[in-house]
Amino acid sequence: MLMCRDLAEIASDYIDGELNGRQNLSVKMHLMMCKDCRTFIGNLRASSNLLSAHSSGKADEEFLRRIDERVAEALSVRKNKCSDSE
Amino acid sequence: MNTAVQPESEASLIEDLKRGDSTAYRRAVREYSPGMLAVARFYLDHSSAEEIVQDCWVTVIDAVQKFEGRSGLKTWLHRIVANRCKNRLRTAKREVATDFSETLEPELANRFNSTGRWDLPPKLQFHDSADTLMENGALSDCLDKHLSTLPETQRSALMLYEAHQHKSDDVCNILDVSASNLRVLLHRARQKIFLMVETFQETGEC
Ligand SMILES: [Zn+2]
Repeated sequence: MLMCRDLAEIASDYIDGELNGRQNLSVKMHLMMCKDCRTFIGNLRASSNLLSAHSSGKADEEFLRRIDERVAEALSVRKNKCSDSE
Repeated sequence: MNTAVQPESEASLIEDLKRGDSTAYRRAVREYSPGMLAVARFYLDHSSAEEIVQDCWVTVIDAVQKFEGRSGLKTWLHRIVANRCKNRLRTAKREVATDFSETLEPELANRFNSTGRWDLPPKLQFHDSADTLMENGALSDCLDKHLSTLPETQRSALMLYEAHQHKSDDVCNILDVSASNLRVLLHRARQKIFLMVETFQETGEC
């Protein structure tokens, strides 16, 4: 039988849908009977969502404009170099 | 509206970038910079991350000439950013190796008794949604702090998999780890974040 510790070991695989059918079923059975593990899985999933939210990069317009400037500068340097060598 | 670059238009975008077309660069900068910034943010503070992303775009002008499109533009750009960040950190930090045979963080493993049941179960439910939690500036800072202490490969795995929904195959390629080791890296890193949020919710301290 799957114990709480065993479940904790494969919890990420469960969340990501990486378990095979039999393993998946035994996790589901355990979760039906065990409140602590339900909390654990929920919290681990929340941690994973938190990471996605935390790192979804927001780039402001000012920052993008500065990149445009540097790219434009580098492009023109490059063009001059190319025409020099021709 | 879905503005993501479609495969066929990605190919033409790459051609335009190779020709040095400035309109194409403006478009690509807007499409890919947020993701690149997010990758850099996993390694560096905000201003260093912005600096790295700017530098990367300048490198891309030459590097794109040799880009063959096998990995997809996004993956390729993220790899450039990640490598640059790692190079910057390399001098500052030594990589702590992950023990791939241990799937549980010691701090979590200690919370089970000898029969494998919870001795110290999770007390609180993280009921707030991720967005609500992120509005808490102190938690966000705490997360930054913990991410910065993760072993480099765990952090990279998290960053590529969670934040950018790269496929596992992609992540394995970028990080040069096996699929099973990637699963361990991800799980270990998530547990650390779980433990961090738990402590934060219980004590209000990082
Ligand atoms: Zn249980």
